[in-house]
Amino acid sequence: MSLTTGPAASGAAVTKTTPEGAGAGRRPRRRPLGRHTLHGWLFSTPFLALFGLFMLFPIVATLLMSFTDFGARNVTRPLEAQFVGLDNYTHLFEDDRFLTALFNTAYFVVVGVPLTLVLGLLVALLLNNGIDRARTFFRVGFYAPVVTTIVAVAVVWRFVLDPSDGLVAGLGAELGVQVPDFLGSPTWAMPSLIVMAVWRNLGTVMVLFIAGLQAVPTEVREAARLDGAGTWQELRRITVPLLRPTLLYAAVITTIGYLNVFEEPFVMTQGGPSDATLTVSLDMYREGFNFFHMGYASAMAYVLFVVIMGITVLQLRLLKDNTR
Amino acid sequence: MHRAAATGSIALTLVSALTLTACGGSGGKGVAADAKQTLTVWAMGTEGEKLGDVAKEYQKAHANISVKVTPVGWDVAHQKLVAAAAAGKLPDVVQMGGTYLGEFADMGALEPVDTKTVHEGDFFPAAWKQGTYDGKTYGVPWYVDTRTLFYRTDLARKAGLKGAPATMADLQSAAAAFHSKAGTKWGINLQPGGLDTVQSFYPFLYSAGGAILDDQGKAVVNSPAAVHALQEYGAFFDKGLSEKSVRPGYDVTKDFNTGAVPMFLGGPWMTSLLDDNYPNLKGKWAVAPVPADKASVSEAGGSSLAISADSDHKAAARAFIQYLTDPQGQADWYRRTKDLPADVAAWKTGTLAADPSLKVWRAQMETARTTPSQPKLTEITSKVDSAIESVTQGRTSAKAALDKAQSEIEGLVG
Repeated sequence: MSLTTGPAASGAAVTKTTPEGAGAGRRPRRRPLGRHTLHGWLFSTPFLALFGLFMLFPIVATLLMSFTDFGARNVTRPLEAQFVGLDNYTHLFEDDRFLTALFNTAYFVVVGVPLTLVLGLLVALLLNNGIDRARTFFRVGFYAPVVTTIVAVAVVWRFVLDPSDGLVAGLGAELGVQVPDFLGSPTWAMPSLIVMAVWRNLGTVMVLFIAGLQAVPTEVREAARLDGAGTWQELRRITVPLLRPTLLYAAVITTIGYLNVFEEPFVMTQGGPSDATLTVSLDMYREGFNFFHMGYASAMAYVLFVVIMGITVLQLRLLKDNTR
Repeated sequence: MHRAAATGSIALTLVSALTLTACGGSGGKGVAADAKQTLTVWAMGTEGEKLGDVAKEYQKAHANISVKVTPVGWDVAHQKLVAAAAAGKLPDVVQMGGTYLGEFADMGALEPVDTKTVHEGDFFPAAWKQGTYDGKTYGVPWYVDTRTLFYRTDLARKAGLKGAPATMADLQSAAAAFHSKAGTKWGINLQPGGLDTVQSFYPFLYSAGGAILDDQGKAVVNSPAAVHALQEYGAFFDKGLSEKSVRPGYDVTKDFNTGAVPMFLGGPWMTSLLDDNYPNLKGKWAVAPVPADKASVSEAGGSSLAISADSDHKAAARAFIQYLTDPQGQADWYRRTKDLPADVAAWKTGTLAADPSLKVWRAQMETARTTPSQPKLTEITSKVDSAIESVTQGRTSAKAALDKAQSEIEGLVG
């Protein structure tokens, strides 16, 4: 910032300081710098104020709260919350529901993220190479779920998955197959939500990959083909390695999003049946807003935060761009 | 991207809790009832929409008072109330759902009711109990609801039944008869699991003589009576007479209309829902008392009206509540909303006294029970929800499920 504003600001300083500094011949060096910093602070104040009030303060407050027994009573008397040390954290790991929620979230991420990335890449490849006609149509088709509100999505998907007169059940009946009650069965509820989440998030990943694919130089591809590489080899040796930065970004973003999964189970199953789709965020919401165990819910938030941080760092290490 | 939603929203509530308390807490001794003033009132759902009309009439009779009614949706009501209580900015008069009252009374956000002017005997006992927490009364009962048995009379004839099932044993055989003789898909609709399953289980529990908490607030959910009730409840699922999985947002009236579900336990609001949506069904269904086990006891719900502890207009607020809860006001409210009056005297005249199906509601209401007000009520009932679910899904026995719930609830109330 100081680099770009430098010349203009010192220019102003010259005109202003001329009268008083005329006899000296050289202008003073220190004053413009002070003004620079002031301008800098002024420009960043709106951001700093908003960030401090709505991000930093809550983040710090949540951390402090996670060491207290902050509950419904403390809403009117916040300072009466008792400090309980690490109790919330130790209780968390004895809490069956939380452990179930952790497992469910892991299930969702481990199955969902690779599925989203692979399908996203496949769709991007097809749209980039295979399909020439109606390309825009398909792009819009795949991206539309991303911008559609979850409530509308939930209504449609509930209808699709309805065991008595849903789309899937109807198709099953035509083929003479008895389809399971997707959202009502503890075994099928989570896979159903994963499929829905993959469909919802495919668009984002696809757009990222299309941008990445278009940045792959045609010369490299041509050279590979001249050397006799087939489609599969071209994909494995050329496309995927060159897409690595994009892949890393898509993986990190999708993983963080999926670790925080909340909306899908919230609108589709409410965490049921039998807590089969209870995720960490949903459990946190329940504890925080239904039961008002704010301290406990804050501890959950921090455990989730540490998990996300750890996984993200790991991904950044593993998928680092080694070609440079 | 989603992290803001999860961590942030919890944190934001704290922010409002911490920063707003500073500006809360109103001083002043309050304004007399006959001074010129504005009363703020929050009411939820349908009540919120209809209360505005009553408020207008009230203003005509009381020129010095203007009543400002704010309707609040049930889905956001709890959070809004908590935020307002944290800020010390609750409205003068607020509608309290039965499960909320204990929590807000415990926070010290509500003003106790003056029991010298508002008499306990005027209301249904269960309704009064809902407004009471820790020996003090904070809410004046406004309207009540309970659950009774809705059943298809035409299908009952087909199934060879003579009238509604009178006992719990009859209910089992009636459900089987509907299924086998009248060819209905299910016998009865009961909630198999998920949030507030306990609402559907209460009539079984109370009729068997069980309870979740006794009058002293001690957990008694694994009593022999409660275990028996849960076995009865689970039997419908074992025998395939009730659907084991129900999607969120399931509307029972649709299946009731098609005949897939010939019986369900429902509240008074179901009556207007059926009348409005399926006018052709009229005459083909009826309500009957909850089938008796030891007795026929249903669950009492409803709302009461409370005054904020910080209100400056307590005198006027009391007068307004008085107006809404006296027999005349209650009968007028019934005409507008079809909400069942909490005031017993209101039932002595007009349609409320004459209509035969309303007699069923009234009789059910007189014996209805309620769980004692408790700040942790939502959490306590959620433990029972899980117990019921594990039984309906055939994972554990009723005894084992309720023993687990008992120990969990003891940890909460202990």
